[in-house]
Amino acid sequence: MVGGRSSRALQVLRYVALVILAILFLIPFYVIVRNAFSTNQTIVAARWQWIPKEWDFGVIPSMFEDKQLNLVNALVNSAVISVVQTVATIVLSLLAGYALARLDNWVGKLFSALTVFTLMVPMAVVFVPMFVMTAQFGWIDSYRGLIIPVMFSAFATFMFRATFATFPSELEEAALIDGANPFTAFWRIVVPNTLGIVAAVGTITFIGAWNAFLWPLLVTRSETTTVQLALSQYMTSQGVRYPELFAGGLVAIVPVVVVFLVLQRWLVQGVETSGIR
Amino acid sequence: MIGIMNLNRRHLLTAASGLAATATLAACGSNKGDLGGSTSATTGSTGSSGGAKPVLNQWYHEYGEPGVKEAVQKYAADYADASVKVTWNPGDYGKKLGSALLTKDAPDVFEVEQGGTLDMIQQGQIADLTDIVKPVESQFNPAVMKRFQFNGKYHSIPQVVDMQLLYYRKSVLEKAGVQPPKTFAELTAAANKVATGDMGGFFAGNDGGVGVLGTLFIWASGLDQFDEARTKATFTQQQFYDALTAYRDFSKTKGLLQSASKEWYDGSPIANGETAMQWGGLWSMPDIQKALGDDFGVLPFPAIGAKGRVAVPFGAFGACVNAKGKNVEAAKKFVSWLWIDQEDKQVEFADAFGTHIPSKTALVQKASKLKEGPGADAAKFVSENGFTNDIMWTGPLGDAFGAAVTNVIKKNADPAQEFKKVETLAAAELKRVKG
Amino acid sequence: MSPATPSAEPATPKASWWRVFRGHQGRNLWYIGFFLPFLVGLVTFVYIPMVWSTYLSFFDARNTIQPTRFVGLDNYRYLLNDQMFRNSLGVFVVFALLIVPLTYVCSLGLALLLQGAKWGQAFFRSVFFLPTAVSYVIAAMVWRLSLFNGARFGMANSILRQLGGENINWLGGTTWWYWPVVISLRLWLQVGFYMILLIAGLNRIPQDTYEAAALDGATGWRTLRYITLPQLRTSTVAVMMLLLIGAFQAFDEFYNLFGSIGSYPPYARPPLVHMYLISLGGTQQDLGLGGAATVIITTIIVLFGLGQNWLLGRSERKERG
Repeated sequence: MVGGRSSRALQVLRYVALVILAILFLIPFYVIVRNAFSTNQTIVAARWQWIPKEWDFGVIPSMFEDKQLNLVNALVNSAVISVVQTVATIVLSLLAGYALARLDNWVGKLFSALTVFTLMVPMAVVFVPMFVMTAQFGWIDSYRGLIIPVMFSAFATFMFRATFATFPSELEEAALIDGANPFTAFWRIVVPNTLGIVAAVGTITFIGAWNAFLWPLLVTRSETTTVQLALSQYMTSQGVRYPELFAGGLVAIVPVVVVFLVLQRWLVQGVETSGIR
Repeated sequence: MIGIMNLNRRHLLTAASGLAATATLAACGSNKGDLGGSTSATTGSTGSSGGAKPVLNQWYHEYGEPGVKEAVQKYAADYADASVKVTWNPGDYGKKLGSALLTKDAPDVFEVEQGGTLDMIQQGQIADLTDIVKPVESQFNPAVMKRFQFNGKYHSIPQVVDMQLLYYRKSVLEKAGVQPPKTFAELTAAANKVATGDMGGFFAGNDGGVGVLGTLFIWASGLDQFDEARTKATFTQQQFYDALTAYRDFSKTKGLLQSASKEWYDGSPIANGETAMQWGGLWSMPDIQKALGDDFGVLPFPAIGAKGRVAVPFGAFGACVNAKGKNVEAAKKFVSWLWIDQEDKQVEFADAFGTHIPSKTALVQKASKLKEGPGADAAKFVSENGFTNDIMWTGPLGDAFGAAVTNVIKKNADPAQEFKKVETLAAAELKRVKG
Repeated sequence: MSPATPSAEPATPKASWWRVFRGHQGRNLWYIGFFLPFLVGLVTFVYIPMVWSTYLSFFDARNTIQPTRFVGLDNYRYLLNDQMFRNSLGVFVVFALLIVPLTYVCSLGLALLLQGAKWGQAFFRSVFFLPTAVSYVIAAMVWRLSLFNGARFGMANSILRQLGGENINWLGGTTWWYWPVVISLRLWLQVGFYMILLIAGLNRIPQDTYEAAALDGATGWRTLRYITLPQLRTSTVAVMMLLLIGAFQAFDEFYNLFGSIGSYPPYARPPLVHMYLISLGGTQQDLGLGGAATVIITTIIVLFGLGQNWLLGRSERKERG
C-alpha cells in the first residue's frame, strides 16, 4: 500500500468519484429546499432552474401560523409517538432478542421461527384485521392505537439476537454463579455492553416511526394527526400546492435528519459490533 | 408532553372564533368519548354539556378550496338538535372511510361519491333514506337522482354535483382559425393545428388521458355500459373500438400533450399556457377564470364516430347515514336539515369556494358562477349530456376496463381481443353482485 | 403439557424432562419470560390478523368482516385467474431482479470507495447515509414532482432537452421508463444503510490478509475477487436476505409514485399494492379476495425465504466439506 504514482492517480480518481456521487446524493435534498423556498411559477417554469429566479421565504412561517393545519401540534404528536414507540420497541426486542440468543431448546427454535416468519410477512397484508382489532380495543385516534400495534418489531429482535449470539457469555456466567438472577445479569452486564446496537436499532425505529404514513392515516381522526398526515393536506383531489408541499416536507425531515446526524456515529459502531455481518 | 398537548388543543378551540360556545364544549365532550372508543355513546349523551343532545360525527373528504372546512364546521355548529362534530379527512378518504365502517368507531354521517357503492347498500352499511328523499325527489337534478336510486330506494342525499368538461383558449383557437371542436375529428385537427413547442394542443392528464377519459369513449361513441336489465356489457362494439383506435392515433401526434405541470384535475396547465385545450373539472373554473379572464370557453367531450354524441361525466357526493350508528334517527334528521332544508347553505357550499352545481335544480339560478358565461354552459351540459358510471360498474370491472383501455391505446393491443375478456368479466361480475 | 411441578422428585422421567427444560437455575424459564411480552404482541397483531385474513379468504366478504356466505376456494381461483394479479407477480419479479443485485453492487462499491479514502471518510459516509432518514412519501414527492416529472419542467427532462433529446413521460406507462424512476428512488433511500453493513463487514477482514496478498503481487480486481469477496461472505448473506425481504415488501415507492387521490393506474402494480387496492375500500373492499391474496403472497415469500436459506446452507456445507 505504498504510494506510487499509479496509486496516487487512483486516489485522485477515487475522490473525483466520491465528490460526484456525494453531489448526486445531495441533489434531492437540495430540490426539497429549492422548492420549499420558491414560488409555484418557478417550480413549473419551462426550464429547470437550479437557482430560482424568484425566492419566497414566506411559506414556512405561514404554515406555522395556519390554525387549521396546526403544524406545531402535529410535530408534537409525531415526536411523542416516535420516541415512545422507539423506547418500547427497544425494551421489548432487547429482552426478546436476548431470550432467542440464549434459549437453546425447542422453545427457542419455535420462538425464532415465529420471529423470522413475522420478519417476512409484509405489514400491509394484515392491515384491515389489525385495524379492526385496534378499533375493538377502543384505541382509534389515540396514542395507544398509533403505537402499540406497531411496536413489536421482528427486525429489531432479529438484530439484537444476532448481536447477543456473538456476545461472550463468560461474564454473564460469572454473575449467574455469584447468585444473580438472569434478569440482573442481563441488565447489569449485557445491556451496558450493547449500547451501540441499541443506538443503531433505535435510530432505524425512530426514523420508521416518524415517517409512518399508512397506519396513522387509518387510525387518526383529528386529535392525533402526525406530521406526515398534515403534509398530505397539500395534495387534494383539486390539485397539488407545490411550495407548501415541499415546505412541509422540509419541516418533516429536519428533525429526523438532526437525530440522525447526532446518532450516526454510534449507529455505525453499533452495526460494526453487531452480529450482522 | 401530554400537558403541552392539552394546552394546545384548548388554545386551538378557543381561537377558532367562528364556533359557537356550545359547539366548542360539545367538541370537548366528544373528544373524550372518542378516546374511550366503546364508551363513547354513554359519555357522549350523558356527560356532555349540551344536555341530552345526541352527538353526531360527520366526515368529509378534504376539499382543496380554501374556506370549505370552516363553512361545514359552521353548518354543523348551526344545527340545534344535535352536537355535530366535523372530521376533515385529507389523504385517501375512500380507504379511511371504508375501513372505519367495518368498526364501531365509524362516523354517523358521511359523504360518499355517487351516494354509496353497491356493496355498501347490500351489506346494510348505509341507512335507507327513502322516507326523507322520496317526497322531495322532484326538486333535485333528475340525472343525478336516477343514479342515486337503487331498486326504488334512496340511500343518500346529493350534496353537490361535480362534472368534467373541456376547456379551450378562445384566442388561441381563433388565431389558428379553428372552431371549438364538436366532434373528435375536429378536436384532433384543432389540437394539431395549435400545438407548438411551447404550448400543447390537448391535455387530459399525465397518463396521456387514459385514466380519466376511459369510460367517456363508451358514451361519446354512442353506447352504454350495460343493457337496461344489467345482464351484460353493451359497449363491446365496433364503434367503441373505433373510438379507442382514433384516440390511439391521436395520442401519437404532437397534438396530445403527454404531461404537464399538474394533473387534469388542476386548472394550472391551461391557466399557465401549457396547453390550448384541457380536459378538466368544473371545480377548477375559478382558477382558470382568474388566469385567463374571458379568454376561455367550455364544451362537452366531442362526439366520436358516426353514431357518436357529446358527453360529460358527472358525479355527486351524497350524504349518507351509518346504518349501524348509535343515533340513526338523529343522523337522518341532521342530513335532512342540512341537505334538504337549508338551501342557503347548499348554495354557499356549491358556489362560494370552488365551482360546483347545486344538486337542487331551482338553486342553480342562485349560484353566481353559473348565471352566465362558461358556468351557465357547464350547468346545462349535466342535464343534457351527462353520464355517470352505473352502480354495478364494480371495482374489478373498472380495473379490467382501465387495463384494457391502456393496453389498446398505449401498447397497440387489438381492441376486440382485449375487450372480449372484459365482456366475460362483466357478465360474471353482474351475476356476482346480484347475489 | 405437564403441569409445572418444580418440587417433584428427580427420579421420575417426567421430572427430569422438566429439569432439562427449565435449565440450570431455571434460566430457560427466565428467558421464556423475557420473550413473552414480545410474543403476546406478535400473536395479537400479526398472527391473529393472519388467521382472520385466512378465514375471510373462504368467504364472500365484501364490505364486511363477519361474512356469512362461504365460497370455498372461489377467491383463490378468481385471483389466480385474474390478469391484474398475475401481472402484479410479474412486476414483483422484475423489481426484485433489478433491485437486489443493483443495491448490493452499489452499496459494496460505495463501501470500497470509502474504505480506501484517506480523509473525509466520515463526511462522505454521512452524505451517503443521510437519505435513509427520508420517508418514501417525501422521496416519492421529489422524484415524481421534480426530478422525473414528465412535463417540461422536470429536472431529467430539462437536461434531456439541453442534450438535444425530447421530454420523456417517465411514469406514463407507455414505456418502461418508469423502472429507472422506481429503482433509483429505492436505491437512493437504502444504499447507505447496506453500505454501513458492508463497511462493518470489510472492517472485520484482518489487515494482514491484504498485506500477504499484496506481497504475492495481487492488486485491484484480483484482491477483490480472491480476498475481499470470499471474506465478506457472511455479510453478503445477511445483506442479500434483508434485500430480498425488502424487495418482497415493495409497496411504498410504487404507491407514492403512481397513486393519486383514490386512483392507481393498471400498470406498475406489485402484489401488495394490488392487494391493498382491492381490499381496503374506496371503490372496492373485498376482504375475501384480500385474504386470499394475503395467503398467496405470504406463501410465496416464505417459500422463497426457505429456498434461499436452503441454498445458502448447502453452499456453506459444500465449502466446509
